[in-house]
Amino acid sequence: MKDVSFTHSSALPNVLDSINLSVTKGSRSAIMGANGAGKTTFFYTLMGVYKPQKGEVLFDGEPIEYSKKGLSKVRSKIGMVLQNPDEQLFSTIVEEDIAFGPMNLGIPRDEIDIRIDRALKDVRMTGYRSVPLHQLSGGQRKRIAIAGALAVQPEVMIMDEPTAGLDPQASLEVMELAEKLHLRGVTVLVSTHDVDLAYSWCDDVHVLRHGKCIYSGTSEGFYSDRENVYLSGLLQPSTYTMNREIALICGTDESPYPRKVCEYLSKIGKGGKTPGTVYLLPYEEGTGLTDRLSKVPSDARVGVYGSDARNQASDERCRVDFYFDGLDSCFTDAVLGKDSVLVYDSVYSPLIEEQVAALKGFGSDISTEVVM
Amino acid sequence: MTLAADKEKESDVGGGGKTPSRSGASSVTDQVQMDELAYSSRMLSWPPLGKLMLTLFLLFVGLFTDSIIVPMITFCIGICLMVYSTNMRLPLLIAIAILEAVAIMVLGSGMISIMGDHHDPAIFQGHILWFDAYMTVESFNKAWLIFFRAIAGVTLMLSFASSTPIPHLALACRRLHVPREITELIVLVYRYAFLLLERMLVMISAAKCRLGYNGPLKTMKSYAGAMVGTFIFSMEIAEKSEATLACRNYRGFFPIYRMPAKVAWPWPVISVVSVVALYVFGMYTADVIDMYKLFAPLLGW
Amino acid sequence: MSEPVLELENIVFSYGKGIDPALNGVSLSVGRGVKTVILGANGAGKSTLFGIMNALYRPDKGTVKYNGVPYVYRKKAVTRIRTDVSILFQNPDDMLFKPYVGQDVAYGPENLGLPSAEVEIRVRDSLRAVGMLEYRDKPTMRLSYGQRKRVALAGVLAMQPKVLILDEPTAGLDPQMASEVMEIAEQLHRNGTTVIMSSHDTDLVYSWADEVHVLMNGRCVYSGVPEGFYRDKNSVYLAGLLQPKVFLMNEGLATLTGCSVEPYPRTRSQLVGKTIGSGRGCGRLYVLPVPGMASDETVVKALSVAGISDMPKGIYGRSARKARNIASVGIDYMYDGPENCFLKCMEGKDSLLLCDPDMVDIVVSMVSVMASDGFGTIECSVLEPAEKRERKTPKK
Repeated sequence: MKDVSFTHSSALPNVLDSINLSVTKGSRSAIMGANGAGKTTFFYTLMGVYKPQKGEVLFDGEPIEYSKKGLSKVRSKIGMVLQNPDEQLFSTIVEEDIAFGPMNLGIPRDEIDIRIDRALKDVRMTGYRSVPLHQLSGGQRKRIAIAGALAVQPEVMIMDEPTAGLDPQASLEVMELAEKLHLRGVTVLVSTHDVDLAYSWCDDVHVLRHGKCIYSGTSEGFYSDRENVYLSGLLQPSTYTMNREIALICGTDESPYPRKVCEYLSKIGKGGKTPGTVYLLPYEEGTGLTDRLSKVPSDARVGVYGSDARNQASDERCRVDFYFDGLDSCFTDAVLGKDSVLVYDSVYSPLIEEQVAALKGFGSDISTEVVM
Repeated sequence: MTLAADKEKESDVGGGGKTPSRSGASSVTDQVQMDELAYSSRMLSWPPLGKLMLTLFLLFVGLFTDSIIVPMITFCIGICLMVYSTNMRLPLLIAIAILEAVAIMVLGSGMISIMGDHHDPAIFQGHILWFDAYMTVESFNKAWLIFFRAIAGVTLMLSFASSTPIPHLALACRRLHVPREITELIVLVYRYAFLLLERMLVMISAAKCRLGYNGPLKTMKSYAGAMVGTFIFSMEIAEKSEATLACRNYRGFFPIYRMPAKVAWPWPVISVVSVVALYVFGMYTADVIDMYKLFAPLLGW
Repeated sequence: MSEPVLELENIVFSYGKGIDPALNGVSLSVGRGVKTVILGANGAGKSTLFGIMNALYRPDKGTVKYNGVPYVYRKKAVTRIRTDVSILFQNPDDMLFKPYVGQDVAYGPENLGLPSAEVEIRVRDSLRAVGMLEYRDKPTMRLSYGQRKRVALAGVLAMQPKVLILDEPTAGLDPQMASEVMEIAEQLHRNGTTVIMSSHDTDLVYSWADEVHVLMNGRCVYSGVPEGFYRDKNSVYLAGLLQPKVFLMNEGLATLTGCSVEPYPRTRSQLVGKTIGSGRGCGRLYVLPVPGMASDETVVKALSVAGISDMPKGIYGRSARKARNIASVGIDYMYDGPENCFLKCMEGKDSLLLCDPDMVDIVVSMVSVMASDGFGTIECSVLEPAEKRERKTPKK
């Protein structure tokens, strides 16, 4: 399990102090902590930018070599997106900047061309290839920064506050992208202050406090220790608190813990309605949506999940009700007893199976039907 | 949600939109205007190295011939190129800058013309303020020559600058084997200049919000504060970018992904031919136009 | 609806000729003392709108009125407007001009041309209001991001604006600091300042706002109570926003259980209260005003006077949080106190809220709102304030 592990003790004085934590390969992890807890320094240490004074960082079981070659090897496998895009965009033109990482790795030009296209599609900035960076807005620059990290095709993706400064829909898109990377087998590491967001998304949380890692494990395990949450500068996620309070008041069981709106509704409003059906329309490049959409009941609301599906739906001018947050919205509708249609990039199939299984655990047995 | 609304929204959110939105706020300064001009120039697709070569060659030929006709011709070429490049849409600010440059040159040539050799006969003598003016035929002609050389240079350089964004210039420099440190510096300075500018503008509006313009002293202090803030920001970002450059596997130079159009054979040929032609032309026409003779009847000399 | 303090009529503004207007016919009015939130996606024109309100930008078309008087763009008049209408920029580093905290906070009042004694008072008051008084002589560079944010806020407060505009006040702050900033906003509102805010945090906005104005592509597409906007899912999507979780959950629960969606709960505790239904015995909420300079001893003494000791304790307000050794009293909820205490009361337990004296009213009104909307009737009793440590006694 410990294919990717980072262990190091006492890096920079006062910033990182005897941190021991390991990130499982292919997991979704959140690094949490107050302002100044050492999250960014921690990320830089993983990238080999800072060399710890004591301890070591292991990548794939091997310690990082602090030679030019060794560092280059590690950095070609880790992609990083910083909180402030301006700190990591160096070129003046969008495509030049996205090509910067791959060019440094000596990847052939044709391959880079494909990667730039792919990355721009993933962040939905396709029309902006040759635009100067300083003409973009803050949110757009953030997308380009993410595209730049994607173009390296890393095995580990580090995102420092990926949603800071983005509007809610753009934040959701970023999290969708993180989910996609996860399904492609990339280990995703996200630092965030948004406890609700982290709670609904991650497998593991690692909590930093004054440069120490004070907790590694499931979210619930951390949030149940209120004292610790308080000392770490955080608050409990609202879904967590509400579930807990209702369990205490009504004397029901706290677990299973709902993390999303659909799960919460399924648990709290148990048995209120017979669950509806979710029609699944996996989208793969080259397939159309309009025909398939005509096969589903017209009163079912349509949700979109994934950037490719979203691009396609808007190109075909499909009928869409939930442009963003499609997954949660569609399943919420199903829990509420209505049928719904979910259009999604086919990579997300495992995630949807996971969601159906989870909802079954909460008491809503949602039937799904794939429309081809 | 209606279809049309979807579509409309899509293009706003950013993905499907084909036209880049201008972030606006910073489009008030020379640099930005020059840059936007360059990116919208009709000569943007011309190879930068070719443009640079032609410009420099024309400049030098103007300097190396004694005939006044050659700089006049290069001046005309410069004007034509600039008109073509900018499509006659010269921003006011830059136009003012050009006029200012011309005014300075008029002053400079005026100075040259009144500092003639005292051994030659004077065509004008007297005191202008504290200057002892002594104008000879030779100094008068020389002043005109220099004036035309200077404005020819300005128009040529401007036609180059208004059609070549800095990144293209950096590339041309690289092709000419200018040391890497210098070209990388150009790229970075260019990128950060915009960031610092944005930052400074925001700080100045923040100062305005806190009434930092009441009285000249306070205004100065506010601007100083904004400057210090920008400076600190530049230090911070320099420090941080070192780390991020490392994260992105920086190896000491900025690779170019999309090479601008390569210099094809017509460019050096056109440059060399035009230079030779102008030079030879200049040799034969060195004394055809004598500014003194032209102006003498007008000024009653 | 209270009388409007700021009125914008048909504002058109563009950053330059030939550039698409950032604001394209915005009309809205902000009521005096109304907690107003400006919503919109990135690039919808929120910051530009704030610039217009502050007379930083002069609109190409349309008028802005303050207290019914149209803006005049002459230096003196603009100064008068900016004295009353202040902005806190998103990035505190944009606001910090001076090397030391105290100097920086004094920058605004000095520019107003106030006598130095008055400046001194204002600096001290505003630093105290954000809980940074002891950092007065520290260099701003040494402070953390959250602290710099608070100093920037103090700098704006020192101008004593009638209308305060907060641009993304919680962005980049960790949850506890964000909740503190919201406490300050609530307190300012209570003290008569009109607070206008923009934020991407949907849930936060929903729990705080009286009224929202939604911008989209430089137009104002909605003005009114938040529910009215969030109810229409399509327009929420079009505006680049999302529905708040609490709103969605309430709607879903209403569908499932068949009860009415109204009244709309806005906070976690209200939603829980609505879910579990009335008819359960709620615990009693004790409110203990804790003035600044108090210490743990005085709090314990006040509690023993009231005859209560062992119950969950929450804190609301900075002076209470800053009381000496307050942690030794055994605080359970250092941040987000009211919410947590309300939840405890709904469990049927008693709880205690230590709060700043001037925030007692806020808590009492929160409780009465909950009762009148049917989210749960919590008995509330306000205790005698914990006295300042009696410094006078040794003198006598």
